[in-house]
Amino acid sequence: MRPYFEKMTTFGHALKKGRIKSTEANLAGIQKAEDEIQEEVDQVKLAGFSEEKINARGQMTVWQRLEYLVDPGTWRPLHTLYNPMNNVEGTTNVIDGIGKISGKWAVIIGFDNKVMAGAWLPGQSENILRVTDLSKRLNIPLVWLVNCSGAKLTEQEKFYANRRGAGTPFFRHAELEMMGIPVLAGIYGTNPAGGGYQSISPTILFAHKDCNIAVGGIGIVSGMAPKGAFDLEAAEEIIEKAKQFMAKPPGSVNVHYNETGFFRYVFEDETGVLDGLKNYMKDMPAYAPKFFRVAEPKEPAFPMDDLYRLIPLNPKRVYDFEEVLARLVDGSEHMEFRPDYGPEVYAGLCKIDGFLLACIGNRQEYLGRNYPEYADYPGMGGKLYRQGLIKMNEFVTLCGRDRIPIIWLQDSSGLDVGDAAEKAELLGLAQGLVYSIQQTDIPMLLLLLRKGTASAHYLMGGPTANRQNAFTIGTVASEIYVMHGETAAVATYSRRLVKEKEAGRPLEPIIEKMNQLAKEYHEKSRPLFCAKTGMIDEIVLMRDLRKYLVAFAGAAYQNPKSICPHHHLILPRIIKG
Amino acid sequence: MTQKILAPLDGKVFQLKIKPGDTVEEDEEILVIEAMKMETPIFVPCSGVVKKVSVKEGDDVTENDILAIIDKKHIEV
Repeated sequence: MRPYFEKMTTFGHALKKGRIKSTEANLAGIQKAEDEIQEEVDQVKLAGFSEEKINARGQMTVWQRLEYLVDPGTWRPLHTLYNPMNNVEGTTNVIDGIGKISGKWAVIIGFDNKVMAGAWLPGQSENILRVTDLSKRLNIPLVWLVNCSGAKLTEQEKFYANRRGAGTPFFRHAELEMMGIPVLAGIYGTNPAGGGYQSISPTILFAHKDCNIAVGGIGIVSGMAPKGAFDLEAAEEIIEKAKQFMAKPPGSVNVHYNETGFFRYVFEDETGVLDGLKNYMKDMPAYAPKFFRVAEPKEPAFPMDDLYRLIPLNPKRVYDFEEVLARLVDGSEHMEFRPDYGPEVYAGLCKIDGFLLACIGNRQEYLGRNYPEYADYPGMGGKLYRQGLIKMNEFVTLCGRDRIPIIWLQDSSGLDVGDAAEKAELLGLAQGLVYSIQQTDIPMLLLLLRKGTASAHYLMGGPTANRQNAFTIGTVASEIYVMHGETAAVATYSRRLVKEKEAGRPLEPIIEKMNQLAKEYHEKSRPLFCAKTGMIDEIVLMRDLRKYLVAFAGAAYQNPKSICPHHHLILPRIIKG
Repeated sequence: MTQKILAPLDGKVFQLKIKPGDTVEEDEEILVIEAMKMETPIFVPCSGVVKKVSVKEGDDVTENDILAIIDKKHIEV
């Protein structure tokens, strides 16, 4: 299939002087917003004890371990700002992302040993479940850096139990193992109770010589006989027992290497553990990239930094979607699917790092007086109409047939509404797209360029498609809400306004409420809010967006569950005609 | 040689960024039309000098209305 993919149709244009002059303010606005996000990221990195203090104890921090473990330049962090329960620590206390270890993609996660020695915190299990889901969706190994002191006991009610509570990841580890996806664990420090299960549930355990893992740690073993209350005598007894267990904590290397043999390997040095993981990853089954590449990797024909000028920070501002896409894909080349149909939707085949990927996005411009064809009003990009929905249904289904991973580039204000839209079957076609996605068992990535709104956020590969969506990245221009705040204020208060008017009462109190609602919508749709609550998995600098696409492509093609030979692909033939 | 800048859609002139006599670069944003809750920027297709501006902020415009005229020759001289 070399003639199809080696050189595809080029698209996009270099920025001209006039455009550069006109977009200085947008560039500055995005850079300022990215600096603000970076400050938040820095806060997460600084959480807990200092690096110096941890190093003085003879330990590396989780960040140092990651840096040593992951191949240089391949770390793509996820969930950095995720903190759905507003922990005072500013983190869920696990650090995760995708990266290469010994040349192979893995999902990597570690406890932040600077914060309460890597304790379970509220929101952490949800974070871990996103990570196990990611490993499952991409079918790549999960690598743990375990260093977990157990639960933050003063807040246990927020995370210990429940369907997606702190024990659920152990079941997900088992699920990954049953699917043939290995879970490797480097183990450091004291890991009692929950930490013990974090350590024992992975597939192969690489232990540091000073680590321990146990059903119960010092705290539990020394205080296991409740008497209804504490007194001085009880306190003295606790002190005595605690001293005893501190000197010799349960579940040491001596027990779990020499006696049980749970630890496959024990290493003298912290870096030895990481070298052990690297060594195993070297031997991990994986297809060489050449097995699936359709062409040699190429950089886009235009600079990535153009994105700072092409994606307006203002959510109402129209822009040229193809110019954005041309900055993200190999050689700025593509094969567009049905360019003469459903103009509000871009669908096409592109290459990322030499791999074939499908891209679907929202065009933003005015669509002309004659579109949508079913209505007497003109269409505007960003919205979805009948043809666009049909096109996406077809394209997704064919991607499933051809086993082509999908990148959704979402910036949508929702579906067309009104009786004309109902008669045009938009509701049924939208749910049809849900069905098409659900039955298409391939990895998908959502890049939320700007707006994720109404049901379009669900339909266009959003995280609610949580069997397909591997992860969702956003930009500082991203915002997510069921509808724009002003629209919500009108929807909420329009009838009340009518009533107040008819009753002759003043409208100002209602207007004040409307403004307040719109303001709250704005605050609760900002990128930082979306990242903290997990609506997006990471806010990515615009110049780094392609790096995430490369990681997704490489990971999705590393160990795919099924294969379509290049010469059996039907989509490129359909496009060619 | 002049270049007419036409309205690509019906809407309201939301922002006007030029006046007669201004020099503009090819692909520079000269005004913004608001329609259907969105803001559509209008870029000039050529470099030149603004010869005439036919609208002001707040004006309603219809598709293909002349928004401005750019004198292309002026810059070439």
